[in-house]
Amino acid sequence: MWDGMLSGMLSGISTTLIPMNIAMVLFGCFMGSLIGMLPGLGPITAVALMIPVTYGLDPATGMVLLAGVYYGAIFGGSTSSILINAPGEAATVATALDGYPLARQGQPGKALAVAAYASFTGGSISVVLLMILAPMLASVATSFQSADYFALMILGLTAVSAFAGRGGVLKALLMVVLGLMLATVGTDQTSGVQRFTFGSLELLDGIEFLMLAMATFALTEALSIVLKRDASSDSLDPKMIGFKSLKVSKKEFKLIGPSAVRSSLLGFIIGVLPGAGATLGSFMSYGMERNLASPAEQKKFGKGSLRGLAAPEAGNNAASSGSFVPLLCLGIPGSGTTAVMLGALIAYGIEPGPRMFIDSPQVFWGVIMSMYLGNVFLLILNLPLIPYFARLLAIPRNFMVPMILFFSLMGVYLVTFNDFDILMMVIFCVAAMALRLMNYPMAPLLLGFILGGLMEDNLRRALLIYNESISFMWERPLTLGINLATLFILFFPMVRSLLSRTGKAEGLDEIEG
Amino acid sequence: MAREKIGALLLLTFSIAYGVLALRIPLSFLAQQEFFTARTMPYSLAVLGIILSLLILILPTADPKGKHTLKQETRGMEWNKAILLVVAMVFYGLTMKWLGFILASILFLMAGFYILGERRLKKMALIAIPLVILLWFVMSTLLGVYIAPGEVFYRLGVL
Repeated sequence: MWDGMLSGMLSGISTTLIPMNIAMVLFGCFMGSLIGMLPGLGPITAVALMIPVTYGLDPATGMVLLAGVYYGAIFGGSTSSILINAPGEAATVATALDGYPLARQGQPGKALAVAAYASFTGGSISVVLLMILAPMLASVATSFQSADYFALMILGLTAVSAFAGRGGVLKALLMVVLGLMLATVGTDQTSGVQRFTFGSLELLDGIEFLMLAMATFALTEALSIVLKRDASSDSLDPKMIGFKSLKVSKKEFKLIGPSAVRSSLLGFIIGVLPGAGATLGSFMSYGMERNLASPAEQKKFGKGSLRGLAAPEAGNNAASSGSFVPLLCLGIPGSGTTAVMLGALIAYGIEPGPRMFIDSPQVFWGVIMSMYLGNVFLLILNLPLIPYFARLLAIPRNFMVPMILFFSLMGVYLVTFNDFDILMMVIFCVAAMALRLMNYPMAPLLLGFILGGLMEDNLRRALLIYNESISFMWERPLTLGINLATLFILFFPMVRSLLSRTGKAEGLDEIEG
Repeated sequence: MAREKIGALLLLTFSIAYGVLALRIPLSFLAQQEFFTARTMPYSLAVLGIILSLLILILPTADPKGKHTLKQETRGMEWNKAILLVVAMVFYGLTMKWLGFILASILFLMAGFYILGERRLKKMALIAIPLVILLWFVMSTLLGVYIAPGEVFYRLGVL
């Protein structure tokens, strides 16, 4: 296996080091930083917006570009969190807790540099872990059967919902089901029967995943900026522009170094869990670091602590890399962004999962190696450019929002050249906006939509193999194990909540007694 | 009514409608004898959707954010501008075929800028026109993607 890994790594290095691919990583990091920096736009939108650009490229180059965009968008999100306290997505909220106060204290350059170094540490450590773990898991996963895949997909979708937070599990599950429902639109691949097409030729091939991703994320996020009078795009403090110093002293490096390493390890482990993602990674790293800090240091948290800034940044980046493990090895996306990337892989004609490790090693290893290259580029090339990028935050929303809408609509139109898709996008955008206003999450919907077709295929195949019996759910020990994990993930929060309620009730009884 | 309950009610209606439509998926005689048909997955999803939305409707709202009513949540929002932008997007979709990419895009961008409060026509044009032409140039000349001109140009005899 180690020989295979070494040759794979070399193949990944040779794939990534092609001048075209180096240029794509650089371009991806650059574009990702620019898009991720815009308030309200996170990595999902950045990746979705860049997918149309990749359609003319070969799959390995396309994925290399998207990996660069992903990393760049995370970095860009941190920049807007630090400079204007406007996190592009939930994963960078923890960065703003200490990053923004530090910037307000007149040290925006230092805050950005600490974030960049911590991100680099997180990215580097997690890429090494990814290189070791991914091939091991992929080689085990080659023995998976349809039943295991079906169980794994259920696990992935359940896990995404289980991490939805207090009171959000049922809503996330319902959104997964809605995504699965949308995936059934079009011609059934096995029987050739049309489902929910209403006689429309445009719906015969089903709903385009890119269109759904753009409508539910890019368009709704742009409209949210308008609806909520989000003036953050106008609020860049002039003092924050034009800073030159990005220096971090040796003493400060010593302070943030161990925090970044610890948070990277924790972030990676959390990222590997399907559904946990970067948000949990960054918040848990922040929490861990605050708990480990001395009482005097603890008081600085939330007021511009360097450790408080480094920890979520490292955790966020490491978790983002970790979420590639289930994507590359099992074909199960661990987060919304990796779900969009999975959709892109399917569109390139690559079957995600353990076979990808064998059939398309150049894509598998190319993505891993380009992630590292992306980290290096972000540190060496993007960081010095950040003071100039930051001027983008001064673009008034009058101009920014229509441009985001235009690029989103264009992204879909220039792929399909069908004006019907633009109208469909608007319909989905309005529906997604309504659901968002009613506090329903969109990422589970996208995950359900992307996995829907694969899930139905695997379920059908498993039933066929097991003579139309659902015993496939427990006959193989592996399938049984995955299903038990699903049940645990699904019911653990409920049991914990019940136990805590009982505990509280007993506590109240004691007090009242 | 809590906003997530309204959402559950809408999704319950959607799930029921989806289930009813699933009944109308055509199946051949042979397919009807099979265990797993094109209807199986939609049926299961409709049932799951109904159960989950009913659970959200029946159980107390645990998420503090979900307890807000829609009125509370949407108070002070700039509905007019958002609706006008949606209308502009619909027009963009409808006019794309007739006006072609360049003209429809420039008009859409300028309409968007205007809706959001920009009134300097020169500035609007100086941003929209070069941006669209640059994108068209990159797509059609550098990437070799054919972008059809608008029907109106053929009708007028310009092309």
